[in-house]
Formats: sequence, C-alpha cells, structure tokens
Amino acid sequence: VRSAAASAVGRAGRSIASGAAWAWARRPPAPVVGALVFALSLAGASAAGIVFQARLASRLPSRLDWAAVAALLERDGRPGDAVVPSPAWAERVRALAPAGVPVIVAPDLAREDLVGVRRVWLVALPDAPGFSWKPELALLARSGVPDGPRRLGAAEVTLLALSAPALPLAFLPDRIAAAAVTVGDRGCSPEGATAFACPGAGAVRVAREVRDVGGAPRPCLVAAPNPEAGAPLALTFDAIPMGRAIRGHAAALGAGTAPVRLAVQIDGEEVGAVEIPAGAGWRQFQIDTTRHAGGIEPLAFVVTAAGPDAPPVCFDAVTLP
Amino acid sequence: VRLSAIASALLPDGLRRRVALGWAAATLAALLGLSAVPGVSREEAAAMAAGSRDAAAWRDPGAPRPAGARAPALSDGVAAAAHGALAPIAGDARAWRAVTALLGAFLSSVLALLGWELAGLGGALLAPALFWLVPRHLHHALAATPALAAAALWTATALAWRRALSAGSRLSRGRWTATAALLYGLAGAVRPDGWALLAVLAIHALVVRRTAPRDGPAPRGDRVLLAMLVAGPLVAIAASPALWRDPLALVAAAWPRGAALDPGPLVAMALAVPVALLVAYAGGLLHGLLRLGRALRAREPAGDEALLVLLAVAPLALSLLAPGAAAEGLAPLLPAMPPLALLAARALDACARTLLPARAGRALAAIAVVVLYPALRASIHHFPHGAAAWNELAGGAPGAAARGLPRQAGGEAAAAALPEIAAHARPGARIWWAGVAPEAVGVYARDGRLRGDLALASSPEDADLVVATLDGGPRDAEYAGWSALRTARPVAAVYVDEVPLVFVYARAGGWR
Repeated sequence: VRSAAASAVGRAGRSIASGAAWAWARRPPAPVVGALVFALSLAGASAAGIVFQARLASRLPSRLDWAAVAALLERDGRPGDAVVPSPAWAERVRALAPAGVPVIVAPDLAREDLVGVRRVWLVALPDAPGFSWKPELALLARSGVPDGPRRLGAAEVTLLALSAPALPLAFLPDRIAAAAVTVGDRGCSPEGATAFACPGAGAVRVAREVRDVGGAPRPCLVAAPNPEAGAPLALTFDAIPMGRAIRGHAAALGAGTAPVRLAVQIDGEEVGAVEIPAGAGWRQFQIDTTRHAGGIEPLAFVVTAAGPDAPPVCFDAVTLP
Repeated sequence: VRLSAIASALLPDGLRRRVALGWAAATLAALLGLSAVPGVSREEAAAMAAGSRDAAAWRDPGAPRPAGARAPALSDGVAAAAHGALAPIAGDARAWRAVTALLGAFLSSVLALLGWELAGLGGALLAPALFWLVPRHLHHALAATPALAAAALWTATALAWRRALSAGSRLSRGRWTATAALLYGLAGAVRPDGWALLAVLAIHALVVRRTAPRDGPAPRGDRVLLAMLVAGPLVAIAASPALWRDPLALVAAAWPRGAALDPGPLVAMALAVPVALLVAYAGGLLHGLLRLGRALRAREPAGDEALLVLLAVAPLALSLLAPGAAAEGLAPLLPAMPPLALLAARALDACARTLLPARAGRALAAIAVVVLYPALRASIHHFPHGAAAWNELAGGAPGAAARGLPRQAGGEAAAAALPEIAAHARPGARIWWAGVAPEAVGVYARDGRLRGDLALASSPEDADLVVATLDGGPRDAEYAGWSALRTARPVAAVYVDEVPLVFVYARAGGWR
C-alpha cells in the first residue's frame, strides 16, 4: 500500500510539474502580465471605492435613527446622566441630548473622573469607519451590568450605571462668583460673574472658562500667575463643604517655559501642592483632607510662578465625601 | 463666408488643438460656475489680504511691506487686480477666484496637449480628467490661493522647456527659451518652491545629454537653463513690486524651513486621492520608471520619460523638506499631480493597447470609466467641502475624523451654515465667528450670502450667535462661545457624512 501510495504521489508530482512547465512555456509575455495586473488592480480599487461609497450612508445613522436616539434620551434621561458619543466625533448628539444631560467627550474614558455622573448613555456608531470599542470597554470596566445595547438603525445606545460614581460635595470652578482673589496683598476686582482682573501686570487674572486640554473640553479656573516674584495669586473660597479628599486636575496652557506651583490651603494651612511644568497635560492630583471631613472650611488655591515666563494654568478641583 | 472665417480663426487647426481648447473652455466654464459656492478658508483670506496689499504696491512700489507678511505671491496680486475689475459684475468670491479658474483652464489645455503627445486622443481626453476628478484638486481650483497657479506654471514651464530642447530652428528655439524663462520666473514669483524647477530641469538636461544618439547633435539644454537662471528672477522681481525693496525675500522664502523630514503631505496624498486614481497614478509612475530604466540601459533617448518622472517626484521630495506642510494638505504636492495624471493617462492607454490591441479605443474607454467613476462620485459627494474629502483608505470623512485628520482647510465650511443663519437669526443679531477669517465674512456679506442686518461681534461675550468651525485642531474658541452663551447645545450644524464641520450656538432669544 505504501509503495502504491508513493508511486501515486510521484505520478501526481510529475504531472503537476509537467503542467507547470507547460503553462510556464506558454505564459503570456511580460507586458501582457503587467497590463493584466494593472487592469485588475484598477478594477479592484474602483470596485472597493464604489462599494465603500455606496455602503457609507447605511453605516451611519439616518435622521430617523437620530430622532429615535433623541426620543430615548428624552424619555429615560434623568439628572446625573451623561451622554458619551462613540466615536468622539459623532457630536450630532449634542443637539439631541436633553438639557440636563451633558455630553462628555474625552480621549481616554478609563482615566476620566466623570464628576457628578451616575449613569452614562453610550451612543455608538459601531458600523462607522474608524470605530473603536475602546470607549465601551473603558466604561464597562467601571460599571455594572449594562442595559442594552439597543439598536436604533445604525446607532447603538447602551446605558451603563457607574459602580463608583464620583459625586462631589463641591465643584470649585462653579463657585468662582463667591471667591476672593488677591495678588500679593492687593485685591482683584470682579469682571462679570466668572472672572477677576488683578492690579499690576495686565495679564494677571483668574476666570472660569472651558478650555481644550488634551483633546477634551475642560471647565476649569484659568489663572495667569503674577510675573513678579513674591506676589502669589491666591483664590479663596470662604465656605466649602469638606470631605475625605480634594481631587483636582491641572494643565499648563500656552507657550511659557517656567513651572507653576499650585498650593492648596485649608483655613490658611497648606495641605498639599502640585508643580505644573510647562507643557504639562491634564494631570490629576489628590490631597487627603480626612481630618477636615464634615466641616465647612475656607479653601484657597495659591498660584506661584517660578519665573517671569510662566504659562497660565487651567485647574479644577472637587471636594469628595 | 465671414462666419466661417471667424470660426476658423477661433477654432485652431487639428483635432489635437480642438481637444485642448475644448478642455480649456469646459474647465473655465465649470470653475467659474462653481467658484461662488465654496467658503473662504483662512489661507485664502490671507491671500486676499496680501493680494490687496500687493496690488497697492503696483501703484506705489515704494511702500514698505509689513513686518511678518507672508512670502510674496504674484498670484495674490493678480487675483486682487482681477477682483477689482470683475467684482461688480461677477460677485465678490467669483471675482477673487477668476484668475485661478483661468489658470485651471490653461492647465487643462496644457495637459490635453501633452496627453496627446504621449498617448494620442485617449491621452488628451484622459489626462485632464485624471487630474480634475480628485476632490482636493477641485478644492484648490476654487480658491484664490497659489497652489493651482504653481501646478499650472510648473507644467507649462516643463512644456516650454521640452519644446525649447526639441525645436528645429534657431528662431523657434529662441522663442521657446524665452517662454520657458518667463514661465519659470512666474512660477517662482507665485510660490517659492517654483525655483526648484531649475534643478529639476538641470538633472533632466544631464539625462538627455547622456542618452542622446552618438551620431546626432545632442539637445543643448545649458543655454535654456542659463536663460532661465538669469531671466527668471528678473521676471519675478519685475512682476512683484512688493519685492523691489527686498528682492532677497524671494531667496529667504524659498529656503527650506527646517531640517527634519515631514512625511505629512505624502500621507495626505495617500489618504486623500480616490483609491482608483491613486492606483492609476502609481501605475503610471511605475510604468514611467520602467520605460526610463529600459531607455537608460539601452542608451536610447529618454527625455520625455525622465522629464515626467522628475516632475512627478520633485515636489514629493520637496514636501519632505518643508516641516509644517502637513497642515496644508495636498497644496505642497499639487505641482506633482499634473505629471502624475499624464503618466497615468499614458499607462492606461498602454494597458488598453496591450490587452486588446484590436479594440484599444473601446478598452481604454472601459478602463477610463472604471477609474474615473468613483472619483467623479466622490467629487460630487464632497462638493463644496473638498478639503473634507478623504479616500477609502482613510475611511472617508468619518475614518479621517477618527484618526484626527483635518476636517477642512480653515473655516471655509462656515459658508454652508449661512442659509440657516439667514433663516433663523434674530434681526440685528451679532455673530462671533470662531475660526473664520474676517475677510471671509466680508466676502459673504458683499455677495449677499450673509444677511445685511447681522453684525460682527468683537467677542463671544458680546455675541448673540457663535459660529464655530471644526478643523480637527484645538477648539478653545468654540468653548469660549459655550462659556459666553451658557450652552453647549448647537442650534444648527454642517456635517459631511455625520462628521461635524460647523456648529452654530445661540444665546437665548438669538435664534428664531
């Protein structure tokens, strides 16, 4: 049996080799092969282009799909909810989300605090070119069993309840109207409800703004530090409910080169500080305030530049229970 | 009899010239017809501002250039002069872009003429189509920026150089030499990278000399090069009074801006040209390189091959030396595109002749449909947002947005929001334009696209409406609008394939 099989294999090999030799001897000239490959490549590329263009509309939500998403959010959304579009560019949802439900766009949802958010509505376009499951995985990792996904045409809506929502006692940028700002021992005067202008160097001011930091909108306090040494910029909130920690974020804005020091004081005592190097992105800091938990304390942020060429900084902070 | 005499005077002899003229007329009509639609990008607005300044310099050459002004571009001043003459009859945007449209028509005719010489009637018909059906090329042809002018003048200079080398009589050679020198000077005056043409043509002259037949006279490129070297800068300076006080600004502007290689424009090209055309371009370049290699090995004349390949490759190489060019999209590469279209047209013709020698014409027509249809569809789909056009490799506009690629050139998509604003903005509303150049708003107002009662706001705090354009870059200006209007919910938007290009935000009561 073995020898019969071996001879059969040998015969088959010889016939394949002779067939290949026959085909090789009668192969078309190289220019014809080249032209054929070129024509087939063109046909393939053209077909790919036509199919891509024809399918694109069905891979993206129609007006009806968006209307269904809007109706769902309107019906089931409630305070403490937020909407996360995925991919992040799918911002049509901004125009559809109910008034009390913010839309959150962040480059890395795994590291995002999602302050004040209990539930997330993930509005995904899973068939869109360039779609990634990364946001969904990041949110699944920090939530319980998801509700959904519900398919609404080309959109998918999933409701995720966060396992450990960060529910702050106070979000400090929103309290700027009640703050006092000084530079050195001189007071700064309010400019509307969300900004202070300081005497001396013209650029020294503090304002509540929304800034693009690390590819996401960050509501924060923007402080341009005083270029003169020995005159720190202090932002004092009179009565802030304290918890076990102050958690904040800070980033340097603009093209300055000198680092900036941001110190946190409770009732005049420094409880922590963070150094913000030039060019630093959105960095988190956390300060233990357990011994002040339960109290209402004056809280101050003191911004000091290490040199005259210091950039403005954008920072936020919350007190956590 | 008179009519036929007039017709014969207007219509050039021979099908070759008629095809070229037909392409030129069709291109001019299409570009002029479409030129009022796209918005004005920040780069185009800067060109308009510089053009107005340069046009004034023609009247007063002694006026100093403002410090930090962009590199002088002849096309800016010419566009401003044309705008001054045509605006009352053609409208503001169309008048600014009339010169670009004219140069587009000129480029079409040059492509058709060269296409005919390379591949006959098929080449003449195909080469301009292979160039124009890239949405980004149409985008540049509908803007008063130097990109298309640079492409047209590079190609025309190459054509004149080729004619100067192959001219039979001394008179003809002299005429084409003068034309090449004039066009070279204009190419350098339009965009500084135009000066690199001399190096490209010098390399070409060496190749021509090396592959010239031993028994015949070698074409003399050195005299043409010398004429270009001497007359080119003189033409550029004479045509740009803005440079009369500081002619060395030409050299300074042409100097590479850094040492690091930047593949950005090449990546932009690979992701922006429709894939079928990209394959045709790549096939054409490969075909040209193979023919060039074969000619060099056999010591056969290789002038045309070398010229086309050098013209296609040189702008690609130059773009690598210009860090920051990535932000400009395909603009730095645009001079490479006409030669690539010519090479592609010849390769398609050769492919049809090789596969079906007896029915080459029909085969070429079938291949042309296969290649051009998806590109035509993409051009129509993306108009007037040509800078938002990304190809199938990028995943279209959505895939490009996911990769963080630019969504528009610089605020021009705001024009598409104007009808909504006209319909819904409250009377007398003040608008703050984030990412839109003031010159662009002026053009929209003069063309009647922006309602006359709407005013400019000096800051978001003073505004009733904020129009924010999204180009893939930082969005601080838009977020300032959120803070000022106390809303992040847009009342209107412009999308391409669901990717937002523009958001309009309104203060309470500002939107009806």
